[in-house]
Amino acid sequence: MNFEIDSIFVERGCADTPLATRVIRAAATRVPIVHIDDARELAKPDPNARDPFGAGKRRMIIARRKTPFLMACPAGSSRFACCGYLVLTLASNCPMDCSYCFLQEYLADNPAFQVYANFTDSFDELDRLIRSAPDKHFRVGTGELADSLAFDSMTGMSRDLIEFFSTRENLTLEFKTKTDEIENLLATDPRGRVLVSWSLSTDAVFRSSEHRTAPPSARIKAARVVLDAGYRVAFHFDPLIAYENAQRDYVELIDELLDTISPKNISFISMGGLRMTPSLRTVARRRFANDPMLCGEEVMAPDGRYRTFTPLRLKLFSTLAERFRNCGAEIPAYLCMEPAAIHERVFGTVPPRPATIGERLASS
Amino acid sequence: MKSAEVETRIRQVAGQRRLPETHLERWLALDQPSRARLLEITETLKLRTGQIVTAIDTLHEIAVREQTTIAEILDRPDIRRTLKSAGSTPARARALIDQLRTMRFPLLRAMQSRLAAEIAALKLPRGIEVVLPHELGSDELTVSIAAHSGADFERMLAALESKKTALMRVIELLGGKQ
Repeated sequence: MNFEIDSIFVERGCADTPLATRVIRAAATRVPIVHIDDARELAKPDPNARDPFGAGKRRMIIARRKTPFLMACPAGSSRFACCGYLVLTLASNCPMDCSYCFLQEYLADNPAFQVYANFTDSFDELDRLIRSAPDKHFRVGTGELADSLAFDSMTGMSRDLIEFFSTRENLTLEFKTKTDEIENLLATDPRGRVLVSWSLSTDAVFRSSEHRTAPPSARIKAARVVLDAGYRVAFHFDPLIAYENAQRDYVELIDELLDTISPKNISFISMGGLRMTPSLRTVARRRFANDPMLCGEEVMAPDGRYRTFTPLRLKLFSTLAERFRNCGAEIPAYLCMEPAAIHERVFGTVPPRPATIGERLASS
Repeated sequence: MKSAEVETRIRQVAGQRRLPETHLERWLALDQPSRARLLEITETLKLRTGQIVTAIDTLHEIAVREQTTIAEILDRPDIRRTLKSAGSTPARARALIDQLRTMRFPLLRAMQSRLAAEIAALKLPRGIEVVLPHELGSDELTVSIAAHSGADFERMLAALESKKTALMRVIELLGGKQ
């Protein structure tokens, strides 16, 4: 992928780190590199920018992360049947710009694209986690507050991560992405412990809402390539958007996926409906005023988010679930940010507890 | 009507109705045919402030979703019929807003009508109420019983038992089954 950055800021003390060295080497001829004392002010929104969030995406900051890298998934809640996903925050924000993205609200006060120079410190946290629960298996992902692979050609982070995770038996690393930036992955042996997952949308959603991402077909092709290189693959149909003809388009998307990747090679799938807090919806509609995907039949749900009205949303979930059920192999599946009762309606079974799901997905 | 005249009249209406500044800006930002047609309807139906706000919001969302203009939406035959229908001006204004909401949420409205018809067809006795979730925002169906005696209660339970299959069907519809 070829993303545009206006400038790169390197915080004092980070310039000699391997990460900064790689980024500077990759970008110095085309992007100004600025050395600064403290990145905190620069991470804040630019008050003079017409679109402070969008402007933040074009400002790359290499800094030390001063808080823990590992955390529970921020989408988790006792209201929902969760998947036990653990998040490793190695970067914050994303050079792509999806109109529905929750980061527009979540990172509103901190929108700069930050990459953490001391990211290998996270390995100590992970080792402590393993020691605290040696009998458990954890699924750890880097794609919650950033895309896992965007800019990987500059940062080279994936190689360090794969090297670490490939030697930890009870950890599975999940790279989650909407790119087809897989070159570094192909140069490293994951030893079966690394999973690459793609968020998949229909062409209509991609064209309307997923700016600067790779086309869905390119994502599927990239998945096929990394599968052949020894990686496990998974797919997130999230957010599902219930536009006119959505059902037909999503089934065609699944058909394209299953024509390229055998169902027995898919580690899991997840589904989630479009969901937006009122403030996220306001920001998203301001930034993407002409995106029809943000004007679907969403109503206020009991959790305080706008969601597609329930029968329509569940019909879409059920259609996709059925298509996967009939594909000839049992693919583990879960719903993101939905209550257990909805899970039961869609899959016909009570969802396991989050920790159990997490372990099952990690080792599937 | 000339563009400047339309703008002046929109500002007059907005001032009289104390329309929020954000909505005035959005109204003025519309293409010329759209803002003129909305003005014409606002004046003809004497829309109240809340109705103007709803109309601007709803029309904008329909226009974005259908990739059309507000003028084109307001010139559709069914909208024209409502505007020319018999009835008082406030009644026609209410009908217009209701019609816009139906256009904005066509599948939701259709599903609500279908579920309401299924519930009405149950012909449950007085004292039993079946309530759909607000705007179908969840899959939870509420059934309440208001009984005044043991016998009353037993009669209602029996009525519910006799309608169990049809009630289950309503719950399935709420869950997306056809």
